[in-house]
Amino acid sequence: MTPSPETVAAYVDGELSPEARVAFEAQMASDPALAAEVARQRALANRLAAAYDPVLTQPVPLALALAAQAANDRRGPQIGARGWAAMAACLAVGAAVGLAVRPAEGPLASRHGALIAQGGLSAALTTQLASDAGPVRVGLTFRTAEGGYCRTFEMAADRLAGVACRDGGRWTARAVSAWTPPAASAYRTAGAETPPAVLAAVDSLIAGEALDARAERAARDSGWKP
Amino acid sequence: MSGLDHEIVELLPRLRRLARALARNAADADDLAQVTVERALAHRGQWRPGTRFDSWIFRIMKNAWIDETRARRRRGAILAPAEEGERVGDAGAAAAEDRLVVGEVERAMSRLPDDQRLAVALVLIEGLSYREAAAVLQVPEGTLTSRLVRGRSALLADLEEAAP
Repeated sequence: MTPSPETVAAYVDGELSPEARVAFEAQMASDPALAAEVARQRALANRLAAAYDPVLTQPVPLALALAAQAANDRRGPQIGARGWAAMAACLAVGAAVGLAVRPAEGPLASRHGALIAQGGLSAALTTQLASDAGPVRVGLTFRTAEGGYCRTFEMAADRLAGVACRDGGRWTARAVSAWTPPAASAYRTAGAETPPAVLAAVDSLIAGEALDARAERAARDSGWKP
Repeated sequence: MSGLDHEIVELLPRLRRLARALARNAADADDLAQVTVERALAHRGQWRPGTRFDSWIFRIMKNAWIDETRARRRRGAILAPAEEGERVGDAGAAAAEDRLVVGEVERAMSRLPDDQRLAVALVLIEGLSYREAAAVLQVPEGTLTSRLVRGRSALLADLEEAAP
């Protein structure tokens, strides 16, 4: 007797009992049509996996990452998930970042409705020059119309790029975006592979030209005083 | 970070995969995942420790998706009695949506009836057991398996027809 489609599916999905599986396989060995049907069902499962599994390794959009951790941030005011999502949308429209925004873990923490650089990112923004190598690369340094300093950054390990501005002794991210490190090249120039969302934020913030190396060093040595 | 929050963050990639399997395109999928996470946080007190967290949040996504597809259909039904032009517009929009769906597999999935698409997404894409998937869908296991069989054969018919 040919097994029902339900039995074939249950076999392919690993839902048969051990005894039923043995019996099914015995039947399959002597029934080429059944074996072909099993192969057909397995091929379908493989095609579905090939179509959808890549999502698992894609960066999670910032809005979603923020929504997922919104309730963690109990130090901040009670902002609904919608509020966080709206904030995220302002930060980087359409940008996707990995799970960089996790309290006490990632380079950014959400606090009072803002994304604050912490840990290594904060230290790098405060002390590093564009010429310095490290887990964080600082790109452009520039001033806003209000006179404050902002700097772009890239983090290869976190696959994250952004721009942060000095604000009350901290660095507040104004835009963050997913970023894939380019292939190593001795000829890369600062800003050449900065994501469009970050460049757009720089354009909206910058007053005048970006600082040259001498001005960048002077600003750092003065402690980023406006 | 409490256990629940941690679990939500850990589950985000799988939530996005399930949303992609259900929604019509990537943008709708991320909206669906977002709504699911927001609802899960709003109703966090309803999750009973000791039960499977992924099943619980998948059920929230299932309900959110059904709400959305029903709302979409209601909007469609309200528009339907209008002039013929409306329907032409709808057909145009559907065709445009179809073009947004990349890949044969996604297109075949989007053509499945809702209940079959849910069964296929949970078992074949998310890898849930029949028992777990039936629990997420709140249907008897026999109902789940028959939807699964019908969904499979519809997908195969669609994809094998598309093949050269």
